[in-house]
Order: sequence, then structure tokens, then C-alpha cells
Amino acid sequence: MVAYAPEPEPTGSRRQVPLAVGLALLAVVTLYLGPEAEQQIAGAVQSSVLRPFIWTQETLAQARMRAGQIDALQTQLDSLTAVLSTQSALSSENRALRDLLGLAERARPDYLPATVIRPGTPGSERMFIVDVGAADGVQVYSPVVSAEGLVGVIREVRERTAVGMDWSHPDFRASAMLEDGSAYGMVENARGVTGEDDLLVLNGTAFYENLPLGALVLTSGVGVIPRGIPIGYVDETADVQGTWRKSYWLRPSVQPASVTHVLVAVSGAPEDVAEMWATDPLASDSLGGRTGLPLVGPDR
Amino acid sequence: MSKRPVIWVLVGILSVLHFVLHVGLGIGRAAPDLLTIALLLMAREVGVGSAAGAGLVLGLLEDSLSVLAFGANTVAMTMVGILGALTRDLFVGDSRLFVVSYLFLGKLARDFGHWVLVGDELRQPFSEQVLVQGGIAAVYVAAIGLGLTFAVRLTAES
Repeated sequence: MVAYAPEPEPTGSRRQVPLAVGLALLAVVTLYLGPEAEQQIAGAVQSSVLRPFIWTQETLAQARMRAGQIDALQTQLDSLTAVLSTQSALSSENRALRDLLGLAERARPDYLPATVIRPGTPGSERMFIVDVGAADGVQVYSPVVSAEGLVGVIREVRERTAVGMDWSHPDFRASAMLEDGSAYGMVENARGVTGEDDLLVLNGTAFYENLPLGALVLTSGVGVIPRGIPIGYVDETADVQGTWRKSYWLRPSVQPASVTHVLVAVSGAPEDVAEMWATDPLASDSLGGRTGLPLVGPDR
Repeated sequence: MSKRPVIWVLVGILSVLHFVLHVGLGIGRAAPDLLTIALLLMAREVGVGSAAGAGLVLGLLEDSLSVLAFGANTVAMTMVGILGALTRDLFVGDSRLFVVSYLFLGKLARDFGHWVLVGDELRQPFSEQVLVQGGIAAVYVAAIGLGLTFAVRLTAES
């Protein structure tokens, strides 16, 4: 005869704590998964649950591009006043698309055009997804370029998409040289104070070599990135180590945040692609040729 | 009308809306962290194991887009789910002050957890990433969550 029995527990409540502990352990395990397992999980989720959202961003990006093209055509038909009033925004967009189109024609078929998608979630700030993948011939470490130069490299490849890192990623490295081959070094990312103002730095140049201000720095072809892709322009001296080595700040050719369309190298792409960025009459007004500062270059 | 079904519907809507805003439209930080709001609201209604499961799933969804620190969101969201469910044993009621504090601290805990787990290379200074950016995001989450909580209450009462 029990006068006061304990309050009955809700059904299943006893299983909740062990379940929570088990799931917490499972969550911790995800931190230590190998790259292949991570890639399989991420690929499965992206191609299933998140596919509609990624498709939405792809569609919006394409719609923006089409809208830009229509606007550009419409502008040509408008009066000179209308052209002048909208010249600033349209001309820059038109110029970027025209540059990329010209570059794509010179690069074809070794480089495929792709749309850049930024996930926008925590931890993915320096990564992007492109809508070309293994089925198109894209490989890990394929360079990703725009009309201005090197955007980044591919890190993971899936059937129809690939994940890349831009040059602001801490792991980014590229062997580099001056355009005339007079100096070589290694370009890497240098984190800004706030994390928003990433820069490039050219390390490992010989002490006695004084690099001219504004000189174009290209990839040297040593390593995984082909030779001849513009990286940036020599700015001021960043550091002097004793009497044997100097490093220089670079003004990047490409601002990753502004890139929406790129070219991605496919398997079999040539190891020297300097001709892709060679001066031509169409590109000379925007790329600034290979001898001077770029008109579309970044301001730091 | 019971409150729990309304919460479940709201959690589903918030989860979809989060990915629409962050991934589909690419709004980024301008959009609130609706996944954390959904998890915190749900954690008050379900057991600790279910909350952990929800945190695991939602965190894994975010991590699938985050190649750099895979698992950081998963662990952070799982822990927030567990802690959120445990608050039911400590705090009863849903006053405005409690809801704001709960959502604010929940979001701050989620960002702190992510900051701890994200790795040295990607970790920004604590004061910047957790206190400043996390604080602003937590205020944002608390404001949105407070409005949603009262909307749920009105819906459940009608």
C-alpha cells in the first residue's frame, strides 16, 4: 500500500539522456572524419536536401547575368543621354562579361565557363561552388580564373559540381614570377587585421632584386597551377629578412567577392596559358595590356 | 489548438527559409540565423535526445556547405540543442525577458562553440568573431525569435 508514489515519467523520457549522449558523441566524430568521408556526406546532402537551394542560387545568378546582357543591349539602342546616365554600372558589368567572353574564346576547350555560387554559411567564407564537375573534366587543383587573373583552385570535385577555394583561403599558395621572369617567389594569403581585408604577399624573392612598383606577377608553372596566370601587381615592400630575402605586398588582380562567372581548367589543359591573357585590341582597354597597371585593378 | 504542432510547423518553415535566404538568395549575414532560432524553440518542446538529434541534423546541413571546418556546426548545434532542452528543467515559463535571454544566450553559445571548433587557421579574434559579430547576430536572433514566439502563442490560443 503506497500512499505517495513517484510521479510517472513520460513515455520514452528515460531513453532521452542516453540518446543525447550518443548523438553528442556522433557529432564529435564528424569533426574527425577523413576528407573522403566528409566529401561523401557533403556531396550527398548537397545533391539531395540542399539541391533546391543551390539550384535557386544558380538560377538567380544566371537570371542576373541575362538581365545584365539585356540591359547592355538595351543601352546600345538608347539615346546617348541614357547611355551616359547609366554608363558607370553597365559599362563595368559589360566590360567584365566581354572580357570573360574573350578569354573563354581564347581558352576553349581547355577551360570551361562556370557560375560561382557562394554558400554564405559559417565556415564557408573563402570557398565557392562552381557548376562544373568531374563529368566535365574538372579535377582537384584545377585553376579557376577570371578575365582579371587567378581566382583560386578547385579543392573537391563531384559529378556535376566542384568546390574551390579562392586566394583569400589560408591554405592558398602559388609559385609566382614577374612577367619578364626576372624574379621568382611564392605568393600566399596574408590575413588582414579584421579578416575582411585579405591581401597577397610575394615571399622568397632575393634581397638584391628590387621589384618595380606595379610590375605584373604571374604564376610560374611550378606546382599545380599553370604558368602565366596573372595574380597581382607589386606594391610596397612587406618585409626584409636580414640581407638575403625580401617579401612584397601585391595588389590582387581579382577581388574574389566580386566574381560571379569564371573559367575552370579541365584535364589536359596546357601548362602555359600566358597567351590567354595576351594583349589584344578588345581586351586592351580593360586589362590594361601586359605592360602597365590595370584599369580594372583593385584599389587597396 | 496545442502549441507543439505549431512549433513543429514553425521549425520546418524556419529551416527551409534559412537555406532560402542564406544559400538560395545568398544574403549571408544580413539574414538571421533561423536554424538556431528553430532549434532553440524546438528544444523547449521536446526531450534532450530529440533536441540533440535535431541539432545534429541541422548542423550537418550547414556543415555540408562548409568544407573548411566540417563538423564544427554539427557539434555546436548538437550542444545547443542539448543545453536548450536542459533549460526546461531549470526555467519554467515564457516571459518576454526569458525568451529574449534564452535566444540571445543560445545564439551566443552556438557561435562560441563554432569559434572553438573551427580551427586555428580560420579562427578570427574572439572579441571580433564572438563578442562583436556574435553579439550582433544574437541580438538579431533574439528580436526575430521574440516576434515568432508571440506569433506562436497567438496562433496556439486562437
